[in-house]
Amino acid sequence: MKFLCVPCDEQMKLKHAIGPEGGSVALVYACPTCSAEMAMMTNPHETQVVGSLGVKIGTAEDPETAAAASKCPFTGMLADMGVPVTGTRAAENADSVENGNGGPGGIPWTAEARERLANIPDIVRTSAIAGIEKFAEDHGYEEVDAAVLERARSFFGIA
Amino acid sequence: MKSYFDLIDDGGSDIVGQVGRQRERIAEALAGVEHIVAIGSGKGGVGKSTLTMQLALAMERRGRSCAVLDADLNGPCQARLAGLENAALLPGGRGMALPRTSTGLGVVSMGSAVPESEDLDFASVARGDSHVWRATREFNLFQQLLGLVDWGRLDVLLVDLPPGAERTLQYAEVLGPGARFVLVSIPTALARGVVARSAAALRRTRNVTLGVIENMSGYSCEGCDEVRPLFDGSDGTAPELGLPVLASIPFDPRLAAASDAGDPELPPGPAVRAIEAAAGSILSGLAERRAG
Repeated sequence: MKFLCVPCDEQMKLKHAIGPEGGSVALVYACPTCSAEMAMMTNPHETQVVGSLGVKIGTAEDPETAAAASKCPFTGMLADMGVPVTGTRAAENADSVENGNGGPGGIPWTAEARERLANIPDIVRTSAIAGIEKFAEDHGYEEVDAAVLERARSFFGIA
Repeated sequence: MKSYFDLIDDGGSDIVGQVGRQRERIAEALAGVEHIVAIGSGKGGVGKSTLTMQLALAMERRGRSCAVLDADLNGPCQARLAGLENAALLPGGRGMALPRTSTGLGVVSMGSAVPESEDLDFASVARGDSHVWRATREFNLFQQLLGLVDWGRLDVLLVDLPPGAERTLQYAEVLGPGARFVLVSIPTALARGVVARSAAALRRTRNVTLGVIENMSGYSCEGCDEVRPLFDGSDGTAPELGLPVLASIPFDPRLAAASDAGDPELPPGPAVRAIEAAAGSILSGLAERRAG
């Protein structure tokens, strides 16, 4: 979606955002020539449809944003502007690991192990994390790293 | 006044590029897969999932490297059929590690991640209106599975499709024209009518339908090793489908019991012989298409 300031015939630029709240984000655009502002309020249902496509809106590439963007496609745009992102409890558990904090079980993950989580579909990532942390706990590992993931593969007989 | 196309970009999101990269990732993940064979029907309850598993095992017995992808995301059966209901989903260095049965068959099923007591629940703000967007989320998840799993080198990736003639068409579009299709029916006019719709839908694509498998074609008597009639239409043909019949497989209660137990290896009998014949016909069809 793009916005044009009709009097100036100028493409409007994103200025700041409010939300997300209840699945809706308010995006404020301003004309670089006349400074006129307008706001687009996203329809939560439409936002959900955009999210269904598995694409992200915005340019932020950091892992935190990438993880959260699976829940809201506008997260990248918000993160670019420093707007905090909220999500469901399950998503926050996954985010917690992916953001470098301990998972639900409180076990820290190394950066390499966290990066590998991108190889798990987002909808089952939380259950995958829980399974891996249980394996780590059961076997006395204090941290999930790439070696622990490889040992888990051997343990479960996975190629 | 400027038009939409005069405005220089989409704000930096590069949506088209993202979709292109999704497709590239799928192509890369499937680069080592020689053939994709989708097992569909359109009709539910005809034994697609059970046959998919049995065909994969039969192909492996013939020395082919196979894996099964359960595309029925809402009613996944393959995890139970394979005894992989509690298989761990593990991130590997090149993708999601492929869960395997004790005999080495790779099986990816949402049934390994979502317990049978739960449904597949997408985060939503649209309770009561999920019909608007859910199919898109499901196909996005299916594409994630295609692109994220480390499939490695496979001779055949068998895709177990959900019911629905329109879904058969949609999966043909997602899998691309190189995917071959096998339709499963049972010898009743009701089932064949629905399968005929799926066959008609597939004729509108560039995908090749190798043929139809007639399942539950008679009843395999455990005591006498004979096949007795089950439905009136069990004559081994299905002219209304306009497709070659690859095999007629009798109903065998031992297969149902083994499937429930997650022990897919069957004792020998007419059903196993027919499944072996079906696997052979499919492999021959794939070889002919490649040669052609």
